[in-house]
Amino acid sequence: MIQYRAFLTLQWVMERLPRGLAYALAIVVARLAFVFARGARSALADNLRAARPEATAAEIRTLTYRNFRYHSKAYADLMRLPTASVEDLRPLMDTQGLEHLEAALARRRGVLVVSAHMGSWEVAAAIWSATIAPVSLFAEVLEPKEMYAWYRQTRARLGISVLPLNQAGLRQVLRALNNNEMVVTAVDRDFTGTGVETTMFGRPVRIPHGPAAIAVRRGTPLLPVCVLRQRDDRYLAIGWPPIFAKDSGDAEADVRWVVERLVAHLEEIIRAHPEQWHMPHRLWPAQAQARSGTLEL
Amino acid sequence: MKVGLVSPYDYTHPGGVGNHIRHLSHWLRQLGHEVRVFAPSGRKDAEREIPDFYRIGRAISLPMNNSVARISLSFHLARRVNDILARERFDVLHFHEPLMPALPLTLLRMSKAPHVGTFHAFAKSNLGYYYGRPILSSYVRHLHQSIAVSEPARDFISHYFAQVRPHVVPNGVDVEYFRPGQAPIRHLRDDRINVLFVGRLEKRKGLRDLLRGFMYLRSRVEKSRLIIVGEGPLRKDVESFISQQRLPDVVLAGAVPDTVLPRYHSSADIFCAPATGRESFGIVLLEAMAAALPIVATEIPGYLSVLQPGVDSLTVRPKSPIELGVALTVLARDIDLRRRMGQAGLVKSHRYAWPVVTGRVIQVYEQARAARAERPQDREQPEELMPGVHYPLPNLG
Repeated sequence: MIQYRAFLTLQWVMERLPRGLAYALAIVVARLAFVFARGARSALADNLRAARPEATAAEIRTLTYRNFRYHSKAYADLMRLPTASVEDLRPLMDTQGLEHLEAALARRRGVLVVSAHMGSWEVAAAIWSATIAPVSLFAEVLEPKEMYAWYRQTRARLGISVLPLNQAGLRQVLRALNNNEMVVTAVDRDFTGTGVETTMFGRPVRIPHGPAAIAVRRGTPLLPVCVLRQRDDRYLAIGWPPIFAKDSGDAEADVRWVVERLVAHLEEIIRAHPEQWHMPHRLWPAQAQARSGTLEL
Repeated sequence: MKVGLVSPYDYTHPGGVGNHIRHLSHWLRQLGHEVRVFAPSGRKDAEREIPDFYRIGRAISLPMNNSVARISLSFHLARRVNDILARERFDVLHFHEPLMPALPLTLLRMSKAPHVGTFHAFAKSNLGYYYGRPILSSYVRHLHQSIAVSEPARDFISHYFAQVRPHVVPNGVDVEYFRPGQAPIRHLRDDRINVLFVGRLEKRKGLRDLLRGFMYLRSRVEKSRLIIVGEGPLRKDVESFISQQRLPDVVLAGAVPDTVLPRYHSSADIFCAPATGRESFGIVLLEAMAAALPIVATEIPGYLSVLQPGVDSLTVRPKSPIELGVALTVLARDIDLRRRMGQAGLVKSHRYAWPVVTGRVIQVYEQARAARAERPQDREQPEELMPGVHYPLPNLG
């Protein structure tokens, strides 16, 4: 509850500041978090070491701090959503590969946009929901629940649905896909513990199998997209050609095939932009860090 | 025809009259007419951003009709307006709220084109009209035809100015936009019965009654939710009411942009309009009907001019939370009744589609041109606005 109050207070300030000042404040917050949120900092550093094994300890430290800054700015975007309008946001976004999205929608089976916990989705989701097709986010439920309610209402104002990762949420996802809408989901962390076992950056992980299973069962295209923040705080949304599931008769193998392709894709994007992979949670047990032999930050 | 639409209200600020003008100008253009819009605006760049728009004066906020109106009080713009009128040579000037200061009053005196005035507002009384009658009557003379958006609005204006005999042309609704089957907001479209409210969060919209009515509903139909779309001065009150009464199933959606609003209708099962009075028409009701939603509304003249109680709606006495709650409960429990009323509303809403309404407005334009042609050219010399005259402000109560 205290957390939520603090969030609301900061949000109250953020939505009243001009964008530049809001980001300046976000950087101050990032610096504080970098100093005080030690757990998040070391978890993130460990994940980044996995993505960039060749980096020195100092480089990882710099990267971790930059990641905190980007993450904080993404939160600033979220906090400014209640007063945002799509008309004002549109000029801030550049796109590459929009044709893949349009082609995928033209097949009329809905589109599952798959991504990592990366970059700044608020703006892109709002713009697409207003201009291309209704967007649903299929994502983990936030704590505390007041904050989740706030988050849902804020998104809903811009026409974005927020669906939880459970059976009820999944039913809604299928309904949305049947109506040829876009569903956005991140597949780099398995929240339910039921994912497919595979490796990412050479380490064992579980990857959510939901999107792959939907692609196998319904032929829904999976569109890898990432929305990056550029140096001048504009956004760059990049879409790649969609992944279609094969039908070999062995559904489990088909799902695994899709998951592996997705992971390969994620690895590539995360390696290219580790500073925007916002994953301050341990994906691997702490011993992995001990094994790598680097100092704690 | 070349038509000038004149509004007293800030055009870049959301509001009923502004929306009306946006739609009317769109549909007039669709029918091949040329349209210019005159209005004040708080935004300096408005003229550059909106095509065929003349920004006349800044806008200031004034309390009016238990609400806030953003109008201009700049009376010194006569020369600019005169130049524009001379250049554009309108076939018709169409004034919205023609007796509001300053823009409509100013233009009404200066232009010699055929004039049509639309009266939107409706209230129990209007002190401005009452005290201003001696002066305003001389302005009313310059209206060749007039329109009221509903019978109550017509009676209201005729009560003050007997010489005004308006045609009743209702507001329009965009039926392409508000239609059944728009993609809902998925997380609101679950197994709950959703009650939708759309409007500014202010006293006269009856929000308090609605919240209490919803508590009644919730005690009987557990799986229900109230969705409140809109912003306004009462937001804090609503929030504290919700937390005091522990009502987790009330969603305060805030100011939803026009592009997303129909999706809220698609997420709802019942539309509720609990205003306590002073609504001249209720566009929100037409929008709800166009989205095939059954309606629970209060029995106020403006709403009753649109609704057919028992056919497309259940109506209750104003300021009666229990009656609201009962009506909501009846509908929430009866899916067939909801469907039937929704269908009846859908059929009716098409009579209010903008192309239909625009056609009727054009008929009034033709009548105004005929009336203007018949009248002796009583105003050959353009009149100067009298300096030092005190212009009355309507209804500052």
